[in-house]
Amino acid sequence: MTENRLLVIGPNGIGKSNLLEAVELLGSLRSHRASSDQDLIHWEEQRALLRAIADDTEKLELELRRQGGRQARRNGKTLTRQLDLIGPLRCVGFSALDLNLVRGEPALRRQWLDRVVQQLEPIYSDLISRFNKLLRQRSQLWRQWRHIPIHERDSLLDAFDVQMALVSTRIHRRRSRALARLEPLAARWQETLSKHKERLRLDYQPGSQLEGEEEEEPWRLAIETQLLGQRSEEERLGSCRIGPHRDEVRLLLNDSEARRFGSAGQQRTVVLALKLAELELVGELCGEPPLLLLDDVLAELDPGRQLLLLEAVGEKHQCLVSATHLEGFQDEWQQRSQIIEAGSLNRSEEVR
Amino acid sequence: MIDQFERLPGIGPRTAQRLALHLLRQPEDQIRAFAEALLAARSQVGQCQTCFHLSAEPLCDICRDGTRCDELLCVVADSRDLLALERTREYKGRYHVLGGLISPMDGIGPDMLQIPSLIQRVDRDGISEVILALTPSVEGDTTSLYLARLLKPFTQVSRIAYGLPVGSELEYADEVTLTRALEGRRAMQ
Repeated sequence: MTENRLLVIGPNGIGKSNLLEAVELLGSLRSHRASSDQDLIHWEEQRALLRAIADDTEKLELELRRQGGRQARRNGKTLTRQLDLIGPLRCVGFSALDLNLVRGEPALRRQWLDRVVQQLEPIYSDLISRFNKLLRQRSQLWRQWRHIPIHERDSLLDAFDVQMALVSTRIHRRRSRALARLEPLAARWQETLSKHKERLRLDYQPGSQLEGEEEEEPWRLAIETQLLGQRSEEERLGSCRIGPHRDEVRLLLNDSEARRFGSAGQQRTVVLALKLAELELVGELCGEPPLLLLDDVLAELDPGRQLLLLEAVGEKHQCLVSATHLEGFQDEWQQRSQIIEAGSLNRSEEVR
Repeated sequence: MIDQFERLPGIGPRTAQRLALHLLRQPEDQIRAFAEALLAARSQVGQCQTCFHLSAEPLCDICRDGTRCDELLCVVADSRDLLALERTREYKGRYHVLGGLISPMDGIGPDMLQIPSLIQRVDRDGISEVILALTPSVEGDTTSLYLARLLKPFTQVSRIAYGLPVGSELEYADEVTLTRALEGRRAMQ
């Protein structure tokens, strides 16, 4: 990138999002779209290679293979821990999917929060994958073994309860801690964006009943009791009623829920405030402003909000922006931007 | 032949090719010995009737060994884990091989593993301590917790510790391992 902003313009299906996704994958080892590497490799190929040069000197490489998993290399050296790839290319993604953050399902808000917590504490992804595994195993247990003796099934469920209570407690704690750090930042952005008219609060509603001070032991025991208490209901409905998979983050604008009572414009402003808070927090944590990836989202914002976003991002963050047309952009966004027409790029040309 | 090799665990197409070409260059009697060894292993090796470790005899070497402690029983998922523990030469008790881990997703329930036989053994043989040596995955932990619950009325149950590998530096350990190691900390004697 020669400028602070890179606009990638091109028709649908040319691979704009692909490029942004590749950057996201190299920067965070995760894709917001695909849950498995199999979906990231071209369907005719056995492997995929991502390569980037960051800060002019850091050569980052990530190889995805159909068999044998991933391999990460930094400056030509194979890394024993893929996590060590994260750092030079920290990024925060903002895609059209995020526009539903306020209006959409609670799952969207949980995913957004999870992405932030992951940046704060790398161990978190292990907790989440462990919890998801526990949930899947548990629901299979109900489905397959309705016929096994009750005492045996109960012993198995006990074994799951103990593990789920522990993992749930840790997830709840980390989510609530992350929200506590995000809230003041998001509130300040909302105040700025609404010209001091709106007060934003992030209200964590855990999917388990957590009372009293944040403390591991009492929370864990409380969740264990609740898991035991909901078993007959779980048997009837086939899904576990307690746990972080039922968490909700209520977004309150001047004390009324933005999801239900906010206007379309207000909802968009809240999305912007949340993403800016994320950007700020991640920047604060890693010591330098992260790369901002705007995938097909900028042109979706009205001119006023585009300018607010530009102002907020300022010269501090590098931006990678994709869109189908240049017309949607405010002139201010086009100025001092490097513009690439996707499809016209020479194969040998490296995007740095 | 290459296809046959590729079906084996840990063998990719290139290694399979290399092995096949190597075998083609061997003298016939060596190939015959190799083939016979494979067939013999398949037909003779079964499970030990007591601990379910792989064995050519009705009772495996470990179960027949009179010098081992009869009161200590170590539970492992499969024979590979048993062999790994044996390499330490530290453990002098008996074993019990479950033949897998509880995993509803894979349709593996307690009744499909050597769990009833384990309970029977503990009840019958006067075992004073059962050591659970299962991997710390969701399935391993589920199996451990389930077994602990079943066995506690009969005997003392313990679990191997999880933590830092010897020889590695603390600063290079990943967060997951470190957290586990912290959880399993011990008072200094």
